[in-house]
Amino acid sequence: MAVKLVVDGVGKDFLIPVIDTVSFTVDAGGFVCLLGPNGCGKTTLLRILGGIEPATRGRVTLDGEPIVAHQPHARKVGVVFQEDRLLPWKTLRDNVTLVLRPLAVPPAERTAHAARYLSLVGLRGFEDYYPGRVSGGMRQRAAIARALAIEPDVLLMDEPFGALDAQNRRIMQREIRRIWRETGRTIVFVTHAIEEAVEIGATLVMLSARPSRIRALIENDGTGQRATLIDDLNTMIMEEVERQQGASGGDLDGRG
Amino acid sequence: MRPWATRLHIPTFAVAAVIVAIWSVVSWKYGAYVLPSPLLVTQGLVEVVASGEVWKHTGASLYRIAIGFGGAVGVALLLALAAFVSRTARGVVHDLLAILNATSVFVWIVISIIWFGLSNWAPIFTTFMITLPVVASNLVEGVESVDRRLLEMGDVYRLDGRQKFTSIVVPSTIPYLIAGMKIGFGLALKVSVVAEIFGVTTGIGYIMNYSREILATQMVFVWALVMVAVMLATDRLVFDTLARRMSAWR
Repeated sequence: MAVKLVVDGVGKDFLIPVIDTVSFTVDAGGFVCLLGPNGCGKTTLLRILGGIEPATRGRVTLDGEPIVAHQPHARKVGVVFQEDRLLPWKTLRDNVTLVLRPLAVPPAERTAHAARYLSLVGLRGFEDYYPGRVSGGMRQRAAIARALAIEPDVLLMDEPFGALDAQNRRIMQREIRRIWRETGRTIVFVTHAIEEAVEIGATLVMLSARPSRIRALIENDGTGQRATLIDDLNTMIMEEVERQQGASGGDLDGRG
Repeated sequence: MRPWATRLHIPTFAVAAVIVAIWSVVSWKYGAYVLPSPLLVTQGLVEVVASGEVWKHTGASLYRIAIGFGGAVGVALLLALAAFVSRTARGVVHDLLAILNATSVFVWIVISIIWFGLSNWAPIFTTFMITLPVVASNLVEGVESVDRRLLEMGDVYRLDGRQKFTSIVVPSTIPYLIAGMKIGFGLALKVSVVAEIFGVTTGIGYIMNYSREILATQMVFVWALVMVAVMLATDRLVFDTLARRMSAWR
């Protein structure tokens, strides 16, 4: 079952403030793309949403229930990382059945369950392959199948297609749209590629430069001009990049 | 060089032939006590194999290695587990292994004779003390190099400690265990043989030293060859097979 995700005044300091305060809501079954310049804390924010890292301030609730880092909660969160993070010594099927073990899926059903989700991402027939024997795109698909197999209330994806070539990227973007429509999961998808965000996200959340706030929140319902939207977002990102370089002491040591 | 020639170690045999030729000449010049001829050594080898003596001494040595080295592997596993579970334990294990690594074989031989007298336990104890730091260092390194990102994945999907241990930590440490055991076994064979010079009346080390005392130099060479054969055989048959089995996924 998809649930509503509320991000309420979340901020994070490492040595310096990275995320100032960010608030937004993802409706049940919504698809939000988090966008922003490099180093603005997109990944950090996603890790906070997933309960992998604690927030310095603010809180995240899933269906009203707060997510606290490193503490178990009733809701299921699936995460797809930048890297596939598959266990190389397990077949694609066993990589999926592994995450079903902590759940109430009976052992006898795990294999069929894994097969169902591997086939959903187009890996039917590759169940017995080890990750090292398939392409990068297929490994990332398997990681998505693993995240979907737990039937997550929320699916978090951190630049999952970053390591793929242009062709695979295009294919996977279409696939993730299809999977979203078919499964109706709540999805938060981090990317720095504007075209990708406009292509797949129903709601676009553009973060500002560090320490980040929300720069713009755009409903991408397909009614506006795509080209204009992409241009606007590009302009915003360039402004933020310049601001970040300015804030860190000009061109001399501005690393963006 | 053609590939089949390299695979059959033809170049190595060619070099060996040259060495045997030089060996024959030197042996003829200085006499069989200093350097027995290749023919004499071959005869000795046939003799010990035919009489079954080769199995008696090799068996005795391997038995001691099995206990001493086996025990070392067992303790090394416990140390690695401790290093994985507790940061404090990790520091202690590191220091302990550094000290053990710096201790000479001779120290353990002398101490084991004092403690265990002239018995089987002297070479067993020496083998244990020498191979423990080698196997344990490898294992601890393996445990420390477990990919944190995979463990984080395990956390995200709420695997419990046992599931993370068996699915992530153990498989990623196995190559280190096999590598450590391979080096450790080679060392065990070399060390236990030295320890067998004292106090026992079986084993390759004992018989080599005995052969020297009765001026049968050719038998010293025979047993050296037996040792090399045992080493190569276990390396190829046991460890290489094990390594291949365990990394079928590569």
